Amino acid sequence: MSETKNNVKTAPKTGKGPGGGGPGARMPAEKAKNFWPTVKRLLKYMSGRSIAILVVFVLAIAATVFQIQSPKVLGEATTKIFEGFATAMKLRMSGVADAPITIDFDAVKTILFTVALLYIGSAIFSFLQQFIMTRVSQRTVFDLRRDLKDKMNKVPMKYYDTHTNGDILSRAVNDMDNIANTLQQSLTQMVTSLVMFFGVLYMMLTISGKLTLVALATVPLSLIVVGIVAPKSQKLFASQQKTLGLLNNQVEETYSGHVVVKAFNREQASIDVFEKENEKLLNVSWKAQFISGLIMPLMNFIKNVGYVFVAVLGGVAVANGTMTIGNVQAFLQYTSQFSQPITQLANLMNTIQSTVASAERVFEVLDEAEMNDEPSNIPAVLNSPSKVSFEHVQFGYGDRGADLLMTDFNLEVKKGQMVAIVGPTGAGKTTLINLLMRFYDVSGGSIKYEGVDTRDMTREELRQHFGMVLQDTWLFNGTIHDNIKYGNETKAGEDHILEAATAAHVDDFVRKLPHGYDTVLNEDASNISQGQRQLLTIARAFLADPDVLILDEATSSVDTRTEILIQKAMRKLLEGRTSFVVAHRLSTIRDADNIIVMNHGSVVETGTHDELMAKNGFYADLYNSQFSEEIAI
Amino acid sequence: MMKLAKRMSLWVVLGAVFFMIIQVISDLYLPTLTADIINNGVAKGDTDYIWQVGFKMLGFSLISIAAATGNVLLASRESQKLGKTLRSDIYKKVSNFSNDEFDQVGTASLITRTTNDVVQIQNVVMMFLRMMIMAPIMLIGASFLAYSKDAQLTKIFIIVLPVLAIFIGLVMVFAVPLFKSIQKKTDKLNLVFREGLTGIRVIRAFNRSNYEADRFKEANQDYTNTAIKVNTIMSFMLPVMTFIMSATNIAIIWNGGHYIADGTLEVGNLISFMTYAMQILMSFMMLSMVFVFVPRGQASAARINEVLDMESKINDPKTPAQLPTTKQGTLDFNHVDFRYQGAENLALKEIDFHAKNGQVVAIIGGTGSGKSSLSNLIPRFYDVESGEIKIDGIDIREMKQHDLRNRVGFVPQKAVLFTGSIRDNLQYGKKDATDEEIWKALEIAQSKDFVSELPDGLDTFVEQGGGNFSGGQKQRLAIARALVKQPDVYVFDDSFSALDFKTDAALRKALKPEIKEAIVVLVAQRISTVVDADIIIVLDEGQVAGIGTHQELKETNVTYQEIISSQLREEEIA
Repeated sequence: MSETKNNVKTAPKTGKGPGGGGPGARMPAEKAKNFWPTVKRLLKYMSGRSIAILVVFVLAIAATVFQIQSPKVLGEATTKIFEGFATAMKLRMSGVADAPITIDFDAVKTILFTVALLYIGSAIFSFLQQFIMTRVSQRTVFDLRRDLKDKMNKVPMKYYDTHTNGDILSRAVNDMDNIANTLQQSLTQMVTSLVMFFGVLYMMLTISGKLTLVALATVPLSLIVVGIVAPKSQKLFASQQKTLGLLNNQVEETYSGHVVVKAFNREQASIDVFEKENEKLLNVSWKAQFISGLIMPLMNFIKNVGYVFVAVLGGVAVANGTMTIGNVQAFLQYTSQFSQPITQLANLMNTIQSTVASAERVFEVLDEAEMNDEPSNIPAVLNSPSKVSFEHVQFGYGDRGADLLMTDFNLEVKKGQMVAIVGPTGAGKTTLINLLMRFYDVSGGSIKYEGVDTRDMTREELRQHFGMVLQDTWLFNGTIHDNIKYGNETKAGEDHILEAATAAHVDDFVRKLPHGYDTVLNEDASNISQGQRQLLTIARAFLADPDVLILDEATSSVDTRTEILIQKAMRKLLEGRTSFVVAHRLSTIRDADNIIVMNHGSVVETGTHDELMAKNGFYADLYNSQFSEEIAI
Repeated sequence: MMKLAKRMSLWVVLGAVFFMIIQVISDLYLPTLTADIINNGVAKGDTDYIWQVGFKMLGFSLISIAAATGNVLLASRESQKLGKTLRSDIYKKVSNFSNDEFDQVGTASLITRTTNDVVQIQNVVMMFLRMMIMAPIMLIGASFLAYSKDAQLTKIFIIVLPVLAIFIGLVMVFAVPLFKSIQKKTDKLNLVFREGLTGIRVIRAFNRSNYEADRFKEANQDYTNTAIKVNTIMSFMLPVMTFIMSATNIAIIWNGGHYIADGTLEVGNLISFMTYAMQILMSFMMLSMVFVFVPRGQASAARINEVLDMESKINDPKTPAQLPTTKQGTLDFNHVDFRYQGAENLALKEIDFHAKNGQVVAIIGGTGSGKSSLSNLIPRFYDVESGEIKIDGIDIREMKQHDLRNRVGFVPQKAVLFTGSIRDNLQYGKKDATDEEIWKALEIAQSKDFVSELPDGLDTFVEQGGGNFSGGQKQRLAIARALVKQPDVYVFDDSFSALDFKTDAALRKALKPEIKEAIVVLVAQRISTVVDADIIIVLDEGQVAGIGTHQELKETNVTYQEIISSQLREEEIA
């Protein structure tokens, strides 16, 4: 299928591949196209848990309110202490030299007790809130992931042919992570930040309107930092990320091609290019780090300015007797809490935007058209003499009717016959397999299996009759046993598996492995050889025991002995079955009952070897150039 | 890590520390001034004094931000500069690595070491120059000031700090293994999803969509459960931390109140003590972050050091041989033995053959027979264990690698193209190659047709990894690239197997007249590719199983016959 993929370039929207890291949090937000509809849809995903979310919000608000209250109450304790102190001072100044400092410790105790309760309450509430939110967000993303996976089973093959795996994976991995993190953190952070901002504002107002105005005066300063410096740092980070990406690409390229770099004496040239890029990276990266590093000290400075003015004005007010010392202390604490929600909200705006963009990309996949089942309305032929037949088949990969590759293809295959498919690389041999297996549906005409149009069966029903052994030996990360069993889960008794393994010459080499059938194939199944992988896929097909077999003869190289085993196993597998073989061997095409010759994606000729040779057309030409040399040996 | 850090300028680091100390001192001085306002201004009702101290505070804030700016500037410049130097050092080092080192570390790992590991180090250094030196300075400064404000109250820390330490320790003990396991489970989740993508045809052909869905659900559930566990532990973190700090505040006020009643503490000092207490706890927590970041950086540093400490085993001779002005045009393998580093068995044993200009030497054999190893010896990607390889009568180990590789045109098994135009790629071996030369090479390599059909011709952009060309096209371009170079010895390491029979044959036919003045070493899998070679070497498990022409070998050599029979059936041989 790689042939068709070459022409389709889908630019992966997120630059990062799976696993690609980087300080993602500081990346500038990607804008979502439909912000609110996507938000609504994401929220709908959580609607099953709306009560829990409501509880989370209530808890978050409660925790924040409790937290906001405590400085003021704690301030009262200080006031009580100060009052005792001040009274004693006054007494001493008025002559009572050793007037004791009498502090109302009972009152202080009650106040501190209240504060402790507030703290405990706040801690418990915020723990509970996190506890519930973790479950809500993780389960929501669990659902989302499950739906995405289910969707992958429902989209037509075309989707896979027009989207790169990298693009799909980046949505399933990076975007999903992004959503999970935001749901976990940002939602409650937004609520607490808002409550915090207004709550602190309210508390400050209850203490002193004048001081509140002073504190509020720092807000525009914070906004300037948030609004000017932060976007600038994001821009620099984006360009740092881009330059780093380019540099990494170069490293990847020259390291993987180091043999060529060396063979052509290009080491110095590649170092020169690298140094230039490296210098460029330094130029943007230190600026990015510098500007972003400044944000915190700047916010701190603004906070300090507010702090100083509050301290001074508060001090004056206490000196004048218009404010209590505890209130000033509380107010100072409020001042330092005041700038925090502003910075946090600004950061959240970015995170939320990029999350919505992520969610949009995930929903885009969920909205892809699914495979549809339209009945063919072609009556079934009872007791059809043919096993598989193509009748006036039209097909093109484009949308219905556009760019037809097959305009009127006819073929009848009787039970037990072998059809060879030949053609140069890129001729579209996979197209035929695609149609047979109903990976794609025909644009016109009909393909029948035992007289019934394949569109009138479910895909599952149809595929039960077919087995496939492709060159691309797909095995998954599991035991050898499970990989064989994959061929037929329903009938897979242990004896059947062993039988299939023996027939495919798998048994011999598996027994030599230290863990035998329980050997776990690693990620790219590189712990067994290419030839052994091929044998495993044959074993799988034996176990499936299909009526019709689709077989792709290997062109890739395996060692001589394994090659002989593969051929033996394949021949055994073909016995007594109707088969379609993508042929690379002379013997196969000679033995074939029918040959389909393909070129440029469409069928150019069909017939037996002798018929086609007599025609002296494309096949004869192909045969003479490709296979005659073998005879010459 | 220290070893890598030596690349930084000590002065700059000291500068960063200096600025940080100023910043921390001015930050710490603010609470003292607040205490001053309360003790001497508020308590005495002296508004002028309050204003005076207020301006002082403002002044300190300004000093603090100026110092912070200085620190950030030095920290960010120096950390990024260190990154640049490291990257450059590693890249230069790796450029001189021989295949042995590449095999030893692995290409993928070398890439991560040059990219991710360096970024990791940069981040840690940046963190270090800012956060990590701040924490101890702050901790010491705040403790000192707190102590000077009131010694009795510091007793509280004897209880609080151990509690905090135990709590942080506990969270780490529980969370760190879970973090590791969640990483594993993420990988598993991604693996299953990716397998679902790559195997989609097989999955659908065998009707296994439901099975796949179950497999994914299992991984998904497993991941979700662990993620919930991790986050639940983390949910303890913040509330408990806040609570510990708040409890400290309460304790300070309660005890402080009594000290005030006893007349041993001033009210203003109580308030500034509370601020210092918070700073102590904060810097303590910051310090605990060191335990998270430093090991991470340490692991990266170890990996980078491993690369930097590695020495290439293949080096130029001290007195390289002068190349003769007239070429003899010979290639000799004299009893060559070769072994991969650390391998038990020889990869090649007793390889002995001699070729001269105009000859084609074909090497055939099964996988693992040593074909590629042999071809890699010619450009000296590896050194022989014993015996010698000579070009024009000179041992290749006595030549400069640069001179040797100038004379060898190597086409690797896996076609490698670089980002850039087709022209850039073809000029790789000869910078000043004209378009005419390039087209000629393309014609021989059977690529003229497809390249001229491209709208941009030679200017067509080659994407990374040659992604916009098919395997066969890439291979043909790689062959053309070697042809442009016009070397004395061509080495085709199984370069023809990606081509179909027809192209393979046409290419070899076109190549024939071009190589009269050169020696061709051709590694192949297919009998048809080697049929016309002047010398065919049949390799079996690293040893020469036969040497001769096709006709000779076909009649006498068992291994060769086996290869033939595996590729053709009886009747076709006949």
